[in-house]
Amino acid sequence: MAKKLKTFRIILWIFLLGIVVGVSGIYYVFNMPRRNVSKEKAVYTLEAKQLISDFKNDESAATAKYIDKAIVVKGEIKIIRTLDNHSMVFSLEDEMEGVSCTIDSADVVTNESKLAALTKGSTGTFKGRCSGMLMDIQVINCVPE
Amino acid sequence: MNKLIVFSILLLAFINAGAQSRFFTKDAKINFNSSTPLEDIIAESNQATTIIDINNNEVAFSVLITTFKFRRALMEEHFNENYMESSKPKESREAADKMKDFSKAKFKGKIISPIDWNSEKQVIADVKGDLTIHGVTKEVTLKAQITPGKNKIIAAAEIKVIPQDYNIAIPSAVRDKIAKEVTIKIEAIYAPYQQ
Repeated sequence: MAKKLKTFRIILWIFLLGIVVGVSGIYYVFNMPRRNVSKEKAVYTLEAKQLISDFKNDESAATAKYIDKAIVVKGEIKIIRTLDNHSMVFSLEDEMEGVSCTIDSADVVTNESKLAALTKGSTGTFKGRCSGMLMDIQVINCVPE
Repeated sequence: MNKLIVFSILLLAFINAGAQSRFFTKDAKINFNSSTPLEDIIAESNQATTIIDINNNEVAFSVLITTFKFRRALMEEHFNENYMESSKPKESREAADKMKDFSKAKFKGKIISPIDWNSEKQVIADVKGDLTIHGVTKEVTLKAQITPGKNKIIAAAEIKVIPQDYNIAIPSAVRDKIAKEVTIKIEAIYAPYQQ
């Protein structure tokens, strides 16, 4: 009898544990944290010039290769802009047809000192997620390296 | 594909034409809103590129799909997967082309109402053109609020689209949470484009 009760207790605990794991699993997926590109290992590390020429030579192939990937891109900073929402955009190599690296407002705050060192004309290295090309190639969720 | 080439050429033509007739911004805001009793879904990007040429009243607008931000990361993932699914067999040319087409949404058209660019007075104008989403192009007409100016042009527009029209399949599990009609809103402050 005592043995049966013990078995029943174990089953009950497993059952409750299952519910807790299941519910927290669903909760996690539903409220899962945003992808943090800064903590990912870069799939490609390259010069901004290389990225530009890859997209200019064959936009389809470059889109398939780079889109949504974590990349590290390095180039000369041509222009720095701060947007209404306090995010910052660093345009590398060319203002119109270069690589635009956008840093979200929260990352602007946490990387303040690093960003202060990046001035127009200096070389900047950014890790972010490649979004594809309009006129410029856009890399979003960037952090300075 | 051909349309994309034509679009790129037109875009370049815009840029290379006479001075000061073109106004431009790379930070236009675009959001879309799907509202149902079960869930309000709002996504926004402030990285849209748009050009107005006041000589011929032509307008071009484009945005990269992955720059849209949602309230929940899960929504963002589902939204992007809808566009990214074509990526699986990346080796094929067709898949790569499709991916490029899917990676952006764009509009190219013309302001068809008469507009006095020297007035600096807000007008409501009809804009007609081709809207491309998810690789599908449809002719649309929309109303835009335009405030002309010498040093800047302010514009806002709204359009309702039906996802199915653009071959955007919505899984039956979430069908009740997504509106039949999605409202897209655009806000842009254009500056003169200096070469």
